[in-house]
Amino acid sequence: MDEQERKKNIRRTALIAAAVALAFYVGFIMMGVMRS
Amino acid sequence: MTTAVADAHDAEHHDDHGPTKGYKRWLFSTNHKDIGTMYLIFSLVMFFVGGAMAMVIRSELAIPGLQFVHPEFFNSMTTMHALIMVFGAVMPAFVGLANWMIPLMIGAPDMALPRMNNWSFWILPVAFGILLSTLLMPGGAPAGGWTMYPPLILQTGDAFPFLIFSVHLMGISSIMGSINVIVTIINMRAPDMSLLKMPMFVWTWLITAYLLIAVMPVLAGAVTMLLTDQFFGTSFFLAAGGGDPVMFQHIFWFFGHPEVYIMILPAFGVVSEIIPTFSRKKLFGHDSMVYAASCIAFLSFIVWAHHMFTVGMPLTGQLFFMFATMLIAVPTGVKIFNWVATMWRGAMTFETPMLFSLAFVFLFTIGGFSGLMLAIQPADVQYHDTYFVVAHFHYVLVPGSVFAIMAGAYYWLPKWTGHMYNEKLGKLHFWASTIFVNLTFFPMHFLGLAGMPRRIPDYSTQFTDFNTIASIGAIGFGLSQLLFVAVLLTAKRGEKATDRVWEGSHGLEWTVPSPAPWHTFTTPPKARIANEAFD
Repeated sequence: MDEQERKKNIRRTALIAAAVALAFYVGFIMMGVMRS
Repeated sequence: MTTAVADAHDAEHHDDHGPTKGYKRWLFSTNHKDIGTMYLIFSLVMFFVGGAMAMVIRSELAIPGLQFVHPEFFNSMTTMHALIMVFGAVMPAFVGLANWMIPLMIGAPDMALPRMNNWSFWILPVAFGILLSTLLMPGGAPAGGWTMYPPLILQTGDAFPFLIFSVHLMGISSIMGSINVIVTIINMRAPDMSLLKMPMFVWTWLITAYLLIAVMPVLAGAVTMLLTDQFFGTSFFLAAGGGDPVMFQHIFWFFGHPEVYIMILPAFGVVSEIIPTFSRKKLFGHDSMVYAASCIAFLSFIVWAHHMFTVGMPLTGQLFFMFATMLIAVPTGVKIFNWVATMWRGAMTFETPMLFSLAFVFLFTIGGFSGLMLAIQPADVQYHDTYFVVAHFHYVLVPGSVFAIMAGAYYWLPKWTGHMYNEKLGKLHFWASTIFVNLTFFPMHFLGLAGMPRRIPDYSTQFTDFNTIASIGAIGFGLSQLLFVAVLLTAKRGEKATDRVWEGSHGLEWTVPSPAPWHTFTTPPKARIANEAFD
């Protein structure tokens, strides 16, 4: 794997992980909004 | 986004340069070893700050009656002790070990996102500075317990927004750290190092990092809702406004139970590195250990309500959470039996890291068994909010997590400093810690079974004897940790460590010189070397 491709993979993995974290944060607040 | 791939490319042309001098080396560091060192030092400082609060608690409880502190301050001490030990001592210590060892173990030049690594560390002192500053505020530090249950926590004075802000910062730091761990392990492994060839410490950290990105945002969401309930007129958790305080407990424990495994899975990883080394055998059932850790992580998401059996829930809910909790004993048992099988007929020696690991196996198991007792819903109604629970989680976290951190520190210290530590002092530290930790926490089982409630500064005289024993044990345990500081201060006086350090050690981290140079694996290790290290 060349360096450019590895850099791209690193960015992609980081963004996916950050998106998962954000989804849990927003998702649980939305659940609270819908219940209250 | 700066990545370690780009940095490694630069490093190839600057192999000979060392770190910059002075404070800039630490403030602007993007080097995984320096950041790992900072995490470890920070966690040690927090261990002593949280420990000092434990001393206040145990001094107050040494005899019945109120002698040293006001009840409000006592409640602040229990709250702050827990927050500091969980988020300031145990978690950063494992992140420190991860920073130091994961790149070395997988043959990577650094963490994949070095600048984010710097940020995730430096947010922590700010977060804990804010949290500790609440001790000086009118109304005092938060006193509603680390679980921050509303409506009680909403009665916190000026400290409340500072508590919420610092918890948010701790969460951001943890999430950034875990993203870095995931990205590094997925993308930066040595050629031919397949996932199942990774060392157990790396595996357990990968699973832990996934847990962290799933549950830290949930805690952040819960405290954001607390904040809006207090200042922006919402009623997420306020019954008067149509909200539900029990919903906070559900959300908190959806974070809180996986959090327990966030603090214990890396400990499993450390012990899984050490036991094979000092048994001079391969880890028994490496792959089954991976699957067991994954099972534990999965189950940790579906057991949260066992922390709140007494709030009232449907019978089916009680049965589900009871049996799901008991199920965790199966993969945990797989791990315990695999460690025992690793030692079976091994040529064992008992250096300090091995002693701490052996104590971990025995004493964590005691904590596991008392957890199983607490999982039994009808019995939990009796145990709930008593010292039995305090005994249980301290057995999991002190001779569990903290002993594993100590084991890891002794195991890798020669690789970090290039010198062997003082073994006599290390063994003295181990024996003093082991005796006193049991003296502190074992009597709490009896206190809990006799009905002594937790988080209370005074108690009925029938509980005096066991409380006095626990307080003597706690002060002894606290003082014993000064021996660890002595080991660290004399760490560079010992004989020179070899590259391999321990006779039975194996893995890529032992192929680099001791102390590990500032830049390592600037070119990926040859597949053959990586394979030899792991086969």
